[in-house]
Amino acid sequence: MKILAVCGFGVGSSMILKMTIQKAMREIGVEGDVINTDISDSTGHNADAVFSSPDFIGDLEKRFKNKDVKLYAIKRYSDLSEVKEKVQDLVDSKK
Amino acid sequence: MMAQNIPESHMQIIRSAKNYEEAIRVASKPLLEYDYITEEYVQAMIDSIEEHGPYIVLADDFALPHARPSEAVKETGLSLLTVKEGVDLKGNTVKLFVVLAAKDSSSHNEMLQSLAEFLMDKQNIKDVVACNTVKDIKTILNERWN
Repeated sequence: MKILAVCGFGVGSSMILKMTIQKAMREIGVEGDVINTDISDSTGHNADAVFSSPDFIGDLEKRFKNKDVKLYAIKRYSDLSEVKEKVQDLVDSKK
Repeated sequence: MMAQNIPESHMQIIRSAKNYEEAIRVASKPLLEYDYITEEYVQAMIDSIEEHGPYIVLADDFALPHARPSEAVKETGLSLLTVKEGVDLKGNTVKLFVVLAAKDSSSHNEMLQSLAEFLMDKQNIKDVVACNTVKDIKTILNERWN
């Protein structure tokens, strides 16, 4: 499983989000890669899902509209329970 | 050890701020004084919120103001500000600001990894905000941010 953590610059917030996703994956017991990137580079990666803030989802929907990628809006990048719920949803959708 | 990356000289406690812009300017002061960043970086952080929205609010009461790595950053570092009464950041109350100055896209990764762990426990944020001296904040970071 491959997940992109996306923010405006790809260096700060998305790094925090990546850590939260990785912890959620460990707790759920699923393996995969998480890459943090900024919004303009995001389409350069192949991924199963993109996690980002509600402010970016509209833009990301346009960028990923022809790709089979699930988009998840995360309000609080370091809220483990919020992120875990979305990771679980992704895992369930792959079954 | 993460806590070593925020010296007491980079920490401030204030009662209130007029708005988030003022809070970010105050929070950035130590990084300006110690020559980690220039004024351009402070403005870039504020502009980024206008452009990208409030996603730097990473947890309840917590924000990580930062901008793209550029020449406006001379040294990678962090500064910390608590605003006791909280300040509104586009619909979110923020009481703890950690300003991230990143010189490039990787030199701060370890710092942020330990920060991420620290933030996942919401009690940590509450406890830092409750501190009345920077010495107390430093003690909490030394104990729990590593």
